[in-house]
Amino acid sequence: MTASLLRVAGLTKRFGGLVAVDQASFDVAPGEIVSVIGPNGAGKTTLFNLICRLYSADAGSVDFDGKNLLAYRADQLAGIGISRTFQNLALFEHGTVVENMLVGMHSRLKSGVLAGAFYWGPCQNEEIEARKEVERIIEFLEIEEIRSQPVSMLSYGLRKRVELGRALGTQPRLLMLDEMVSGMNQEETEDIARFILDLRDEFGIAVLMIEHDMNVVMDISDKVYVLNFGVPIASGTPAEVSSNPAVIDAYLGKSAA
Amino acid sequence: MRTRTFKQTYGELTRLLPYSSSWTWYVALLAALIALPLVGPTYVSTFVLLILSAAVGAIGLNIVTGSAGLISLGHAGFLAIGAYTTAILTTDYGFDLIPTLVIAGLVSAASSLLVGIPSLRLKGLYLAITTLAFSIIVTQLIVEAEWLTGGSIGKAVTRTTVFGYPVRSTISIYYIALGVLVLTIFGALNLLRSRVGRAWMAIRDYDTAARMMGINLVQYKLFAFAVSAFLTGVAGGLSALYVRYINIDGFTLIVSVEAVAMILVGGLGSVRGAILGAIIITILPDVSRWLMNTMFRSVFVLPAANSQEIKGIIYAVMIILFLRYEPDGLAARWAVIKRFWSEWPLGKARG
Repeated sequence: MTASLLRVAGLTKRFGGLVAVDQASFDVAPGEIVSVIGPNGAGKTTLFNLICRLYSADAGSVDFDGKNLLAYRADQLAGIGISRTFQNLALFEHGTVVENMLVGMHSRLKSGVLAGAFYWGPCQNEEIEARKEVERIIEFLEIEEIRSQPVSMLSYGLRKRVELGRALGTQPRLLMLDEMVSGMNQEETEDIARFILDLRDEFGIAVLMIEHDMNVVMDISDKVYVLNFGVPIASGTPAEVSSNPAVIDAYLGKSAA
Repeated sequence: MRTRTFKQTYGELTRLLPYSSSWTWYVALLAALIALPLVGPTYVSTFVLLILSAAVGAIGLNIVTGSAGLISLGHAGFLAIGAYTTAILTTDYGFDLIPTLVIAGLVSAASSLLVGIPSLRLKGLYLAITTLAFSIIVTQLIVEAEWLTGGSIGKAVTRTTVFGYPVRSTISIYYIALGVLVLTIFGALNLLRSRVGRAWMAIRDYDTAARMMGINLVQYKLFAFAVSAFLTGVAGGLSALYVRYINIDGFTLIVSVEAVAMILVGGLGSVRGAILGAIIITILPDVSRWLMNTMFRSVFVLPAANSQEIKGIIYAVMIILFLRYEPDGLAARWAVIKRFWSEWPLGKARG
């Protein structure tokens, strides 16, 4: 087995008396696609927010590439190779598609206030390089025709795609996708699934995703991790998980099993 | 109808102006402003001088409020700090004007950290109140520090020298202000189109997502306050130079409101908007006074002493009208009109 890129062990989060995530433990290897599934309120997004340091954990550990992630601030994660999208759209509404993606490149650029104000050599070169890079992401996501539109004018599916592009701007090694395909039609869903596979195959990016669309989960995941009421109940390959009685219970209730 | 120019390099995509022909118009405008004091009457250039320094301050406020989304009602405080720093350095220590203006900006930027640090946890109305309190504290400190600032009596401002040449006339101040404004415009536009400006926009639109993209909220909010306060401090220094006698009555709440009105009327987050807003809000009290005096003399009897109250009413009405009918400000209207004429006769009036 290869060394894991992300290792979550015994991760726990309590909100008052509610244990939102209880002893979650799993691994993501480099270049692996791992899905986190579970009924609504199972603590999937809380788990994401814990890994992203938006919430602080009550117990447990998160290691990324040998680093203790709990010692990092949320704004430092982009710099070490973790990026994410959000369940509800979190684009910068007043910017264009290109501007949104350039924000994604923030941690890879250097110019500060003075360099920016004078826009001298290094700053200008950096901007041109960034623009070039954004163009590559635009081409990858096949959104050339909307590149200079304000994101507020785009359809839901396209906005999700821009958000994916913005996350790619950080050049992540681990990409966390929170319900990427919810609210998308069949065609848009298939496009996104194809992008996720391409990201893994072409760039070796590991993907950790929360997903409700079981077709996507079963088709593209290498591993599936199931949460119910904050408690991990199963993990394994899609085939193992879908035949696991505990998972069937959680989704369909006791009588169905 | 102007055709779209085809871009051939990535460098062309990052240019300040998409068409090089646009530079012609801006150079012509600059030439006109340079020629104005030579050909026009003095009162016109004095009036334009007011607009020039107001525009520097409005661009400053628009960085923190328009671009970074941090509402400030305390910019009169930064203006006061800049003005008093200028007065002290020139009158008491005989500093040259250029270093004086830079120091005025730096002192103001340093003081902005005092209000910037609470701003890290406060948003919206709470931040507005905090910044308002800051400006009141500043004026109070100025009154108390009589040995330095002349207290409630005020302080005369000596027009010293620029690079060793003595400054004698308002016209000289006009050219200094014009130079400062040109530098401010370039600096602000460059910031807003590069990494720092995009980080401000990201914080304003979605701060959690901004953090995940690697933006340190603390650092960039403080940057926004510092850059904004620097420009406002310089504007304060310029205003001290043409007023020649400053006193805390010139830095009351109405000044902060005036600045907010400028960026709301002009367009939040836009440099062009800040300038348009500065023009409108600066000439508005005079235009309306003239209108009332000539057209409605029989209806309104408005003694000059009431001008402060009238200003307040006019700003309030302007803000309400713009928020209702043109929330994106004159900058957005400008873009619509420009598109209409560049596509004429094929375009629509709105689109």
